[in-house]
Amino acid sequence: MIVAERVTGAARSFVQRTRLGRSAIVVSGLIALLLGLPFIFQLDGRAHPDWLQFFGRFHPVLLHLPIGLIVLLPALEIVGARQRPLREAAEFVLRAALVLSLATFALGFMLAYGSGDTGTTVVRHMWGAIVLCIGLLLCSASRSAWAANQRGLIYPATLAATLVALLWTGHQGGSITHGSGYLTRYMPSSLRGVFPSSSESGASQDSFYAKRIHPVLDSKCIACHGASNEKGGLKLDSYNDLMRGGKDGVVIVPGRPEASLLLARVTLVPGDSHFMPAEGRTPLTSEEISSLRAWIKAGATPSATSIPGFTGVEQRPEPPQQPVGDYGRLMPEISRMQQGIGAKLVPVSANPSDGLILRTADVSDSFGDAQLAQFQKFAPYIVEAELARTAITDGSIDTLRTFTHLRTLHLERTSITGSNLGKLSSLTQLTYLNLSGTKITAQSLTPMRNMKNLRHLYVFDTAAEAEETTARSKR
Amino acid sequence: MKQHPLCTDCEPELDLTTLPIPNGLKREWSAIETRRQFLGRSGKVLGWAALASLFGEGTLRVRAASGDTKRTVTSPGRNQLGLPHFAPKAKRAIYLFMSGGPPQIDLLDYKPNLASQFNKDIPDSVRGNQQLTGMTAGQARFPIAPSHWGFKQYGETGTWVSDLLPYTAKMVDDLTIVKSTNTDAINHEPAIMFINTGNMNPGKPCLGSWLAYGLGSMNDNLPTFIVLQTKTNPKENNQPVSSRLWSSGFLSSEYAGVGLRSGGDPVLYLADPDGIDREVRRKMLDAVEEINRQTQAEVGDPETNARIAQYEMAFRMQASVPELTDLSREPQSTWDLYGPDAKQPGTFAYNCLLARRMAERGVRFVQVYKRGWDVHGDVVGVLPVLCQETDRASYALVTDLKRRGLLDDTLVIWAGEFGRTVYSQGGLTAENYGRDHHPRCFTTWMVGGGVRPGLTYGETDDYSYNVVKDPVHVRNFNATILACLGIDHNRLTFDFQGLDQRLTGPQPAYVIKGLLA
Repeated sequence: MIVAERVTGAARSFVQRTRLGRSAIVVSGLIALLLGLPFIFQLDGRAHPDWLQFFGRFHPVLLHLPIGLIVLLPALEIVGARQRPLREAAEFVLRAALVLSLATFALGFMLAYGSGDTGTTVVRHMWGAIVLCIGLLLCSASRSAWAANQRGLIYPATLAATLVALLWTGHQGGSITHGSGYLTRYMPSSLRGVFPSSSESGASQDSFYAKRIHPVLDSKCIACHGASNEKGGLKLDSYNDLMRGGKDGVVIVPGRPEASLLLARVTLVPGDSHFMPAEGRTPLTSEEISSLRAWIKAGATPSATSIPGFTGVEQRPEPPQQPVGDYGRLMPEISRMQQGIGAKLVPVSANPSDGLILRTADVSDSFGDAQLAQFQKFAPYIVEAELARTAITDGSIDTLRTFTHLRTLHLERTSITGSNLGKLSSLTQLTYLNLSGTKITAQSLTPMRNMKNLRHLYVFDTAAEAEETTARSKR
Repeated sequence: MKQHPLCTDCEPELDLTTLPIPNGLKREWSAIETRRQFLGRSGKVLGWAALASLFGEGTLRVRAASGDTKRTVTSPGRNQLGLPHFAPKAKRAIYLFMSGGPPQIDLLDYKPNLASQFNKDIPDSVRGNQQLTGMTAGQARFPIAPSHWGFKQYGETGTWVSDLLPYTAKMVDDLTIVKSTNTDAINHEPAIMFINTGNMNPGKPCLGSWLAYGLGSMNDNLPTFIVLQTKTNPKENNQPVSSRLWSSGFLSSEYAGVGLRSGGDPVLYLADPDGIDREVRRKMLDAVEEINRQTQAEVGDPETNARIAQYEMAFRMQASVPELTDLSREPQSTWDLYGPDAKQPGTFAYNCLLARRMAERGVRFVQVYKRGWDVHGDVVGVLPVLCQETDRASYALVTDLKRRGLLDDTLVIWAGEFGRTVYSQGGLTAENYGRDHHPRCFTTWMVGGGVRPGLTYGETDDYSYNVVKDPVHVRNFNATILACLGIDHNRLTFDFQGLDQRLTGPQPAYVIKGLLA
């Protein structure tokens, strides 16, 4: 008892001598606690009791409240120079912000500690929050003096520093949730030079990995498996990290999609307890999965720029359609033509600029080169020519060359031989050409290979198809 | 106003404009004038004619042109409806209809967690207060029946497919699988009416009729909408399908589906009898048409016009159908693909092959019905038979269309009227089980023009009982099909009984954008 009395007595006299109030003790005690906490409970990547996470998950719910209050604070102080009641309110807002910040920090720490989070972003976020809380503590300690005599720069400087800490901490937190590239993902390309995005180490910039694999991992996985978090010891934010794997071993086996753990986990049935991304985050789309699978199958290299046999939808968008002119004034003539020949010119849609379809199915037997030639005057409006099973011959190729807006051309089961097929390569709009069941050869198709918009070329049941098959089997 | 001698109330005179009949019909009726009306009006007409002559010749000519109501088959007038509303991705569609309700749990909706719950009761919270069919409502328990068959992942998409569907498994990267289709009806007739016509009660036009009405024909020598029925297999539990399902409802009968027979001649009496050649037939039809036009002028029944058109269609089909159904020139690769079943008329494989031939020849819409999916009992015995009949043929059709370059603008749809329950109907044993009707979720797939390949859309809960993500109601399913064909479902309407009738009904329906390419 005597010892205790002496100690308290000494402390009291020390406090009196140094003129520190009781609040100063509380402030310095809290600061010490904040600074010491990360050393007492280290973020070692191990999960701890579930109740920690249960409370911890209220961290994202609570955190926006103190942010709002802190941002409100300078506004109150500045406007309060003219309107006194606001400045009086600032004191309350500051204390509320402080209490809420401490509570948010506590929950956040429970979340990270409980779920075994680790990684640089999490650690940065934590230290940012500690600095922020200390800043608020100092603000509340220094404000009363400042408010009383309206002088001194300690409070405004501390407040400014606190706001900077808030900004930085908030950004780190956002990076944990949304991935590091969240803000810059849709940055206009003109700005990219000013703000260089983080480079994917170990892979070249225009590789398949950089263009199609890394963006998927970055948006869907890195929130938990990145520099910020490293769940399961797995980091996916660079090629080297991806190939290194995690606690359960490697996740990508080059050339063997079926043995690659990463692919297995993202293709489980949603609802499976091992399904990734976990916790109801957005699953990978089937396009993303197929690009991953194709990439792994092709050897999972960091440098390959294209994957054979992989045609992603995004990779090859259909070329934009060129609108045709208004054929409205030609309608009477079109009508007469149809009565005569029997073949029809049908609008693609109610929108005239979508063009016309030349349809011959009713009269295919009697529709030959001469009949096609008569439609030449409507050529600029025709975007699709259905000439399958008609009597046209190679002589029509010259006519078809004048159909400059042609996008789709059906020539299946005609007597086209392909001898002058190369002339069609002037049809720059052509995306679809069907030559199935004709007499074309692989050689006659060679000029078509250079047509960059020709995406859909069909040669079923032709000599060309047979030659290609034998060539492939030899290889 | 006439007054009945014994009645004090006035009996209102029949007023055409208040009758619940289509407006088009009203216009047609009022156009046909009685002699009395004609004489009564002729004075006015003379006056108008005099006035018109003052305005010049043009006025009269316009009237003469618009008065020409005789429809010629080659007229581009079908587009008067302003269709398609936008550039379509698919020009035609083939609908493989799995009548009876395929069990999604045994085919494409993989539920790995069920294996450990064999014979446990399905939680009440999952079933909720749903009203069951009379067939299982009295069951004391609802024991979970996990699928008898294993599932594996296929394709680049890693889609899970049952071992029952080895061929479908090969094309999963092309398919758009919808696991969250759901409907309102729990019994066959209302459900099959609902998915086909958008209404559980008969009398509304079906999808094919709406397409025929809205988009018209691509080949006037063949019907715009053809229905192929598959011969029934006595081992299976076949629910009846009837022409109500391909009826044109209040649309003209011209737009109804034309059924081709599953055995023997695809169309009866198609060949001319001995002694009647093509020319005689033509003369006969011309005479019949003349008589029909007179009747039409007197009575004004639009069915007469439909009949005239159908006689003409039948005449043209005499030439076109034999060529269509003549499979003798199909290359060997066809038989390798479709399998030996395809040589047997009336099998599902044969019908799939015919459907491809129809697509090549410009038939707008082909609906192939396969009955027998109503597996209330003996799933283990019957389901492999059903899959054996349909799996390879469906794959063959899609692959065939694809290699021939037709899948780019053809939409293929595979669907039944509803799904089946996870719990067993009747006794559950280690070897066998049955499944009852289940409207809350079922799996369908589409492929081809307009839909996104390699996509699995929607999710069901752990029991394949309720949709938990991205539901696709049958109304929205149909709206999406129309969208692939360039049609805004809200704008393809027909004024009847005071409503702008449409396939998706009066309730709001939405195109599922996530399914579109």
